[in-house]
Amino acid sequence: ALSSRSANLMQLVYGQASSKLDSAVSKDDGNETDSSDEEFFVPKGQKQAKTELPSLDDVDAEDCSKFIKVEQRDWSNEELIKSIRDRFVTGDWSKAALRGK
Amino acid sequence: MGREKARRLSGSRHFRQRLVLATLTSTAITIEDIRSGDAAPGLRPHEVSLLRLLDKISDHHSIDLNETGTKLRYRPGVILGGRNLEHDCGVHRGIGYFLEPLILLGLFARVPLSIQLKGITNDTKDPSVDTFRMATLHMLKHFGVPMEGLELKINSRGSPPLGGGDVFLRVPNINSTLTAANWIDEGMVKRIRGISFTTRVSAQMERRIVHSARGIFNRFIPDVHIFTDHRTGPSGGKSAGYGVSLVAETTTGCLISIDAAVSYPNVDEINEESEMPELMSPEDLGVKAASMLLEEVAQGGVVDSAHQGLLFILCALCPPDVSKVRVGQLTPYAIETLRNIKDFLDVKFIIKPDPNSNTVTLKCVGAGVKNLARKMS
Repeated sequence: ALSSRSANLMQLVYGQASSKLDSAVSKDDGNETDSSDEEFFVPKGQKQAKTELPSLDDVDAEDCSKFIKVEQRDWSNEELIKSIRDRFVTGDWSKAALRGK
Repeated sequence: MGREKARRLSGSRHFRQRLVLATLTSTAITIEDIRSGDAAPGLRPHEVSLLRLLDKISDHHSIDLNETGTKLRYRPGVILGGRNLEHDCGVHRGIGYFLEPLILLGLFARVPLSIQLKGITNDTKDPSVDTFRMATLHMLKHFGVPMEGLELKINSRGSPPLGGGDVFLRVPNINSTLTAANWIDEGMVKRIRGISFTTRVSAQMERRIVHSARGIFNRFIPDVHIFTDHRTGPSGGKSAGYGVSLVAETTTGCLISIDAAVSYPNVDEINEESEMPELMSPEDLGVKAASMLLEEVAQGGVVDSAHQGLLFILCALCPPDVSKVRVGQLTPYAIETLRNIKDFLDVKFIIKPDPNSNTVTLKCVGAGVKNLARKMS
């Protein structure tokens, strides 16, 4: 099961076809023959509400390294506190040592 | 690696990484259809500003933009670096937007880079200058970059919309290559440090932020110290704002960081909302920031989610040795970074989930990118 999950993750990252747009194309830079510079554009109005999560397929997706989670959990909740207690030096060291083993 | 064919890309996404990776691999790129379907097509002011910055630190390069700004041709040259440069980052994006690419480019420059950057120091969209100073720069030492030459000094702060901040960045140029990292032990959080700031508002705001953040941390760890940085007059920039940057330091020297800030909307958002929105209270901001940091700690990994992309790029630039790192859940930005790395550097990571800790380990063999610009002494 682990290996298939790993395969899924690899596929999620590298497997999608969307990267084919970005393939290298041989091109003579000095004398371009196509007239793409004069191409007309059709304004399609403003993009949809910016509240949407960034899509992996949007070629104009915003360039932000920060990952902003919308949901804020209540970290005074006992269950939640317990869930990361051993991630602190004040927690159980032997349990923490098991991580990543 | 000096290829003669231009790599064709489309859209404005990952603009910074594309420019950085193109530069470091000497790959000419053509980006087309930049917001071509948008009511306001073409490059945005911050992207043009980034091109100007790139122009300032490079030589023998060419940058061609069509009239509508929807098509860019970039042929990289040599990264010069240089002393006491200056750049106005504008007010459309934070200085953090510019620092991310600048750090990478500076490492591969002919001479060490030192530059004064003006603009917005703390906002919600980009990592704060405090995050860079407290966490980002320290990441580089895991890849063999000496900390001595690295510096970020905050001369004045600037909040959106008008900015007015001013920082001074120094980046050393590396001798030849980075060194591969085996960085998978995230350790346990031993203390929390941070800095809160106010620009053109009462210093009382900071105490309220710190107090409410501490209230959350008290349940976890006693060693919490959040400095305050109250700015008035010119060193407080032109707009009102407040915020806090926090770092959890672990027993293995990992720095997990977040930042949060409150200000009035920036110039690009102002038109959409006619009224000035009510600002989040310092108490709520303190709780929000503390919660964000705990979320990052819960994720695990040797860096926080905002630094995943930079971490992977550093690994991929290393000599052809194995680098191994551990992160929490991959962010969409990090996933795109991995794809860009594969496209430009031909480096593919082996990505393995670790169900025990809900983390992910990534392994790669570096592309061996060398600093060819550096003058031989």
